[in-house]
Amino acid sequence: MRRATFDRVAIVVYAAVDWLVIMAPSLAVKLAADRGGLGDSKGLDLVFASAAIATPHAVVAARRLRYEERTAVRRADIWIASIDALVVLALSTTLLVVVVLAFFADEHAALTNRGFPVVLLWVGIQLIAVVMAEVTGRVVFWWLEPHRPRRRQRKVVDHPRQEVTTG
Amino acid sequence: MSGISRRQFLAAGLGAVGTAATGVGLGGYVLPLLAREDLIPGEPPDLVLDPEAWTITDDRVSFAAIGDNGSGGRQAMAVATSMAETYAKRPYGNVILLGDISYYGNFADRYEDVFVRPMRPLLDAGVTFDLAIGNHDEGLRYSEAGYDEIEAEVRMLDVPGRFYMQTYGPADVFLLDSSVPGLFGPRSSEQLEWLDDTLASTTSKWRIVAMHHPPYSSGRHGSTPRAEERLVPILERHKVDLVLAGHDHHYERTVPLRGVTYVVSGGGCKTTKVGDSAFTAVSHRILQFLHIQIDGDRLVGTCIQPAGQVADRFELRAREDR
Repeated sequence: MRRATFDRVAIVVYAAVDWLVIMAPSLAVKLAADRGGLGDSKGLDLVFASAAIATPHAVVAARRLRYEERTAVRRADIWIASIDALVVLALSTTLLVVVVLAFFADEHAALTNRGFPVVLLWVGIQLIAVVMAEVTGRVVFWWLEPHRPRRRQRKVVDHPRQEVTTG
Repeated sequence: MSGISRRQFLAAGLGAVGTAATGVGLGGYVLPLLAREDLIPGEPPDLVLDPEAWTITDDRVSFAAIGDNGSGGRQAMAVATSMAETYAKRPYGNVILLGDISYYGNFADRYEDVFVRPMRPLLDAGVTFDLAIGNHDEGLRYSEAGYDEIEAEVRMLDVPGRFYMQTYGPADVFLLDSSVPGLFGPRSSEQLEWLDDTLASTTSKWRIVAMHHPPYSSGRHGSTPRAEERLVPILERHKVDLVLAGHDHHYERTVPLRGVTYVVSGGGCKTTKVGDSAFTAVSHRILQFLHIQIDGDRLVGTCIQPAGQVADRFELRAREDR
């Protein structure tokens, strides 16, 4: 496989994994609802909410990789940074949801009592996770890439060419 | 190490460790936890029911039983809605709570979220609630906080005590505290003696025992150790007809075991895996509650899911000597 084709396929696969990672918690909740015998529509709101975040983020992640491929000095930096970003995404999307929902049950139950749609809470948590992953990916890539020290621009001064004579 | 910078090595190492931890942690624990628990807040049932629409006579009664419903989440609300809808069609005056009535916090703090909100239509209709104390409620049993929790439940639900008997028309219902040391632990003799004596003196046509820990279960927790040696002989000696339990988050009915039918009705808000054992007649990993109708010498139990589907329906006949 040619390198350009490989890169293109790798980016698509990465974007798909990124999408799935964001979708996983809502799919887990939906599967549990289906298995428990809740109506078909129960849990779909969270799936749609996650899809609304996962789809644009998959595009953003793919564009980030394409940009990095164009600018990277070392190809390995791209994939090391992107794997780190994916790990942060996977951990934060799922763990944040569990921590917020399990440890602050009273707070969000009280919000729900006042008519607060839980889907907004879900979207908020996943947005935070996505931002953390994006920041990780970009910062790690920047940190890994070699940076030439900036040279101070010298003032160009016209010196009259000196004739060197030998002899 | 030629070709790899120190930074690359560090970042790649963290990525590899993170990937392994994520795979094990999320796949093996966090995602299953999310699927097993009922963490999503839910909308409570929005129904107005006819108050006291049920009929209780000396030979006729209906009631409901629900276990492990204390999340206050979306699935708990769906089961509670189904209970209210069932009441609208087939009114009942009593609900037996089979324990674990408050998850993710103590009952006094979560009373509104886990009990009042989901059960509001039934409470407004005048339905009364009885409680079999569950292990989640006694997690801190040996501390002051643990006793406070049980005290709060008994007080706030206005039930007579940790274990007691209620008469529902033709049925005597014995509500036990099956938590350790309540029934199976070292200080269990008081309750077992009370059960033995009270069952011996009862003259009702139907004898039903409700408790949190199931004597027989094919689920995650399984059959309760020591139940078979300490409790089951009493149930069999006094010809108890039906034993209702929770603890495992599924529905399971046994074939009659020496005359006693055991039902696990623990799908009040969560579900966990269930298998089949030699004693199993029916088992389902579902959200559900149980509706029981007694009419003379016939008892009909119906396992109802949130969308109203009937997962099981069984019929018992009263013993001939009653």
